[in-house]
Amino acid sequence: MTALRADAAVAWAIARKDALSELRGRQAVGSTLFFAALVLLLFGFALGPDSRRLTEAAPGLLWLAIVFGGLLTVARLHQLEADDGALEELARYPVGRRAIYLGKALAGLGAMLVLGGLLLPVVAILYGIDVAGAWLPLLATLVLGAIGFAAVGTFYAGVTVRMRAREVMLPLLMLPVIAPLLLAAVKATSAALGGDPFGELGSWLQLLVGFDVVMLVAGAATYGYLLEE
Amino acid sequence: MPQTTIYAAPRSAGPQTTPPAVATVELARLFGRNAALAGVSLRVEPGGTVALLGPNGAGKTTLLRILATAIRPSFGSAAVDGIDVAAAPELIRPRVAYLSHVTGLYDDLTADENMRFAATMLGRPDVAEAARQALDEVGLAPVARDRVRGFSAGMRRRLALGRLLLSSAPLMLLDEPHAALDAEGMALVDRLFGRWREAGVTVLVASHQAEWVMNLADGWVRLDGGLLVEVGGQGVSATLPGRSLAPAPAAAVVDR
Repeated sequence: MTALRADAAVAWAIARKDALSELRGRQAVGSTLFFAALVLLLFGFALGPDSRRLTEAAPGLLWLAIVFGGLLTVARLHQLEADDGALEELARYPVGRRAIYLGKALAGLGAMLVLGGLLLPVVAILYGIDVAGAWLPLLATLVLGAIGFAAVGTFYAGVTVRMRAREVMLPLLMLPVIAPLLLAAVKATSAALGGDPFGELGSWLQLLVGFDVVMLVAGAATYGYLLEE
Repeated sequence: MPQTTIYAAPRSAGPQTTPPAVATVELARLFGRNAALAGVSLRVEPGGTVALLGPNGAGKTTLLRILATAIRPSFGSAAVDGIDVAAAPELIRPRVAYLSHVTGLYDDLTADENMRFAATMLGRPDVAEAARQALDEVGLAPVARDRVRGFSAGMRRRLALGRLLLSSAPLMLLDEPHAALDAEGMALVDRLFGRWREAGVTVLVASHQAEWVMNLADGWVRLDGGLLVEVGGQGVSATLPGRSLAPAPAAAVVDR
């Protein structure tokens, strides 16, 4: 119990530190949000003015924008550590590797929730969909999707942080792994927005829960090896 | 339960002999094809201050980083308090504090936030008070609420030195502690050395300030090209010359 409490304190300290750094580097946060919103706008232009087509595509485009913005976010959270040897310093503290992973993932989760929460109204305005009527299942989908993305993103950002071509390698390694998450999140969002006529929302949410658990356990078990040089 | 490797005590010593603070056997580290350390066998007794001398590229930083568990040895072995650094790094980390040549600070946090973060990670129960005292000690209390991004190199170095004060590790590994410091900062380093000596803390210090470090140290070793070429003074012994890249002989270690 004491060890768990110590791990929780360490994870919280890391997440708080990352959140403070992220919020104070406003340029980076603002540019990520702007980039994700721009992706949504450009998709809208590419699909044309057909409102039915836009409504049908909205769940997929929302999650693609979240994924693109999320890739930038998780990479930046690790880049904070790479500056001036902070990652090596972090790895040398006498704390569990699991706690370090969970702290970084918690910071990633917070950033993903903010990103998703701000993009939802953008989608509603641009694509003319009603998100207010399905806020609860949408919130559940967003939270579960963000947990899975943060779990995978934290691990792969750790893999690529010391690479020279990390900007290219991170999406290259990570996108195939999050394909099931993307599929389940898009389907769950579609079901939520459409009133879930076939009763499939629960199944997709269960898939998201399973994905999250597997990725969190795998990430916590293996992240420590990434901290070693 | 992970297996722990310890160095065998000398035959003449009893079973309660204190293990050396640091012991390396044919320690080598390769970066690609370059050997930064090429077989260093060294023993440092607890409580002393030992200077690591040598030109740039001699292997001083690599030796300190291996002992700090920042990197793993390629061959040979290194132990702190009798515990193998590669086999049980989680047992080494509470025993070692390391001042690197980079400061490892977070630019967008204030000096106080950086210090509180370090205090939390080091398991200090009195996070706020420990951070305040450390900042006061290194003369940064007036800028405690300023972000580190605006600090000079000397102020960053002081902050990194303050972080060492949060640690209760019995072994201090210092890589160029005087780098970027002014006269007042150098006096601060002298004070810290005095404090560690009184507390019986073992200090390994790599420095190019040869005159200063020789005045302060009990013993010294000189590295050149990854090899240990000279040893002198008290509290340190070594095997010369270390030239083999072979793994440590099995007889040098025992498992428990």
